[in-house]
Amino acid sequence: MSIRSQLLKGILDGCVLAVIEKEAVYGYELSKKLQKVGLEDVSEGTIYPVLLRLQKNKLIIGEMKPSESGPNRKYYSLTAAGKEALEIISFEWNQLSIPINALLSKGDETHENK
Amino acid sequence: MKTSELIEQNNQRRELLTEENEKYYTNLLMYIRTKLTLSEQQSEEVLLEMLEHLIEGQREGKTAQEIFGNDPKGYADEIVNDLPLENKRNSFLFISEIALNIIGWFLIMRSVIIPIIGGDTSEIVFIISSLLLLILIAAMTAFGVKMIFGLISQSSFDANATDKKMMLKAGLYGAGGFLIIIVISYFTKEIGPSFTLPWEVSLGLGSMLLLISWLIKKSRA
Repeated sequence: MSIRSQLLKGILDGCVLAVIEKEAVYGYELSKKLQKVGLEDVSEGTIYPVLLRLQKNKLIIGEMKPSESGPNRKYYSLTAAGKEALEIISFEWNQLSIPINALLSKGDETHENK
Repeated sequence: MKTSELIEQNNQRRELLTEENEKYYTNLLMYIRTKLTLSEQQSEEVLLEMLEHLIEGQREGKTAQEIFGNDPKGYADEIVNDLPLENKRNSFLFISEIALNIIGWFLIMRSVIIPIIGGDTSEIVFIISSLLLLILIAAMTAFGVKMIFGLISQSSFDANATDKKMMLKAGLYGAGGFLIIIVISYFTKEIGPSFTLPWEVSLGLGSMLLLISWLIKKSRA
């Protein structure tokens, strides 16, 4: 597993929650949206274990709905607990990302100091 | 949507898959469906979602391998780990349905055999012997189901496994189990108090149990 996909695995739950918060989506749509924002490393199938886990933890609920074009789709939306979890994850991510950015983008810093 | 509707839809939609994708997907499906302790409804929902995803991906020229990865067994295990367990009520109903079905057929077969053999002795039921036999059949059935589903699940991703090998194993188990039941019931024939159960009563009781079993099945589906 590449370093990028390992890092991603830890934060993928948060990414999925963030997409679902904007509007209710079904699986295929969700994977398209993740790829669109630039998370192309997420192999499409990985979202299903994540969705199951989030449902099990009652952070999201899924509802089967018939669609006009034929197949039934399961649309996911956040629960109150899911919104809370997303806030916590966003907060924690910011706490981490600022110092880590500062540490790991040393190159830019020395450049600025010149 | 009911579980039976999900399964029905899955069967129809699966026909849209290419041969290669169908093979990949069917392996996943067999592996997940044979995990009997998992919630059937939730399993079928995620299976249908994955199928719809695969159908849409196929339209864009993607293969199942590109979508679900190169390690189908590892992927299936992840899904299985994150699926919730079947709730107690459903498990209880499922087991009752099967138990009533077996006892029902047992009583009906008895009512067919007794008039053929004739004689009053064959209508006598020994309580302890009968209970022993019932427990034995129940245990054999439970163990057999577990073993056969285990075999199917194991062979899901095994390219070397053939249906013939599996049938042989299952057949041997069935024959062996049957032999054990016959031998043990022969030696425990006449234990405990007894009463007479005429074949007509046996037929009526058996039919009633089958009816109840069928009603449970209807309510479950």
